[in-house]
Amino acid sequence: MARQVYQAVVDGILVGGVYALMAVGLTLIFGVLDIINIAQGVLVILGAYLSYVLSVRLHIDLFVGLAITVPAMFVIGVVLQWAFIRRLRGRERTAMTLLVTYAAALIIEGSLYEAFGPDYKQLSAPYVTSSVHVLGFYLPYIYLYGFALAVVIIAGIYALLYRTRFGRSVRATTQDETAARLIGIDTSRVATLTFGIGVAVTAVGGMMFGATNSFNPNSGYDLISRLLAIIILGGLGSIGGALAASVFMLTLESVVDIWSPQWAIAVFYAALVVVLVVRPTGFFGRAPARAQ
Amino acid sequence: MLRTEGVRKSYGGVRALDECTIEVGEGTVAGLIGPNGSGKTTLFNVITGYAKAEAGNVYLAGTKITNIAPDKVFTLGIGRTFQLTRIFPTLTVMENMLVASRHARAADRKRAMAQLEFVGIAGHHAALAGTLSYGQRKLLELAYVLVADPAVMLLDEPAGGVNPSLVNYIADRIRELHAAGKTFLIVEHNMEFVMGLCDRITVLDSGTVVAAGPPDIVRTDRRVLDAYLGEDVEDST
Repeated sequence: MARQVYQAVVDGILVGGVYALMAVGLTLIFGVLDIINIAQGVLVILGAYLSYVLSVRLHIDLFVGLAITVPAMFVIGVVLQWAFIRRLRGRERTAMTLLVTYAAALIIEGSLYEAFGPDYKQLSAPYVTSSVHVLGFYLPYIYLYGFALAVVIIAGIYALLYRTRFGRSVRATTQDETAARLIGIDTSRVATLTFGIGVAVTAVGGMMFGATNSFNPNSGYDLISRLLAIIILGGLGSIGGALAASVFMLTLESVVDIWSPQWAIAVFYAALVVVLVVRPTGFFGRAPARAQ
Repeated sequence: MLRTEGVRKSYGGVRALDECTIEVGEGTVAGLIGPNGSGKTTLFNVITGYAKAEAGNVYLAGTKITNIAPDKVFTLGIGRTFQLTRIFPTLTVMENMLVASRHARAADRKRAMAQLEFVGIAGHHAALAGTLSYGQRKLLELAYVLVADPAVMLLDEPAGGVNPSLVNYIADRIRELHAAGKTFLIVEHNMEFVMGLCDRITVLDSGTVVAAGPPDIVRTDRRVLDAYLGEDVEDST
């Protein structure tokens, strides 16, 4: 039994890395634009379909294909923000962006149905179905590669945010958009590029999701509810929090799954409730700024 | 250097600025005073592009900058501080400075550190800005506007809410910058501070300019006394 639990913990950590990749984009967008991108789940699935097309029709390796799908998803994100979200202003902005991103999700989902139909697909490659045996644990290559990629991408986003002028502009905009504009930051540009980056990472998340799960055009809805739970638990806007929450929740789910697969999903959301009761801002969420 | 001409701005049915015309000469320290709600901060907002003027124009060194985006106004050379400080609390003090500087090269760090030394908070450069006291935040705000080397600095109540010795310290820093040729437009309720610092004062009441001129003239103007100053000024000077 102990070995089963250890294996479940290892599985949970590796799968958590994959979910972190998907959640990081969502929490980055929330942090800067103060909106929840409901389309994030469907965009992950779009990323999976792009990888599918490159893999099946052009025989491009899943990881090599990211060189095409990441820039493509970045452009899609920039267009979404520029065309729809940028125009929303005023007190109703947050509510309106929920509707607009939901509408975007429906349009993307409909287009995917039109192009690929309702049948489930799964990405395949030699490393998707093989594992390495280390210290008695079976570690699937795809999860190992995905976890390593997640760490690299999250470290890259951290470096972007904390080591570059653009990153400082992003963090300043996150804290006080008005003040940021008044000291020369083009906050519209910051918002557009951040949305682009937040969507670009769904290409990687989508490839990993598609390689480890079967998917069809409406797989995005289950995904978005999980991603929302993760970024709330991690602390809205916190990238490190998204990683910690992904690993925590997926590990918990994986361990509970040993005894009761039915309860595994319930425990996933129950953990969210319990943590928020104790710590309402999540693992790494900021308390509201103190009044001056 | 900075001029507004017939600026008009309303919020709902309330006219916040009406035919508001002011002038700030190059290398001068200009004061903008008036009772609460007289339109001082609104005028700052219009000048910096944060609020759109319904009529009238704003000129910087002869160039029309009316209703252009705040980030462009800053880039053109107008820096601003706020009545309630608006620093970035989870960035370090140095990062706050670098956000405002045009680039992030080593020279900018050096320049940023020099400005922090000038305002006296260089020792806190690695601290999170949110851990600073209110007075230190005021100084940081002044420093991060300075680091961009604006042509005109708009200071919104620089002496507001800080202790008397810090008020004097801030006044001394402004005098030094003035001596170096910097141009200021200052909104302030502390009459001693304004009268002692400014070359020229403009008085707003209900969004309209009721008087403008050197401090000695303004403080004795009957319209100003009626609108705002009353006996307080005579008591304090």
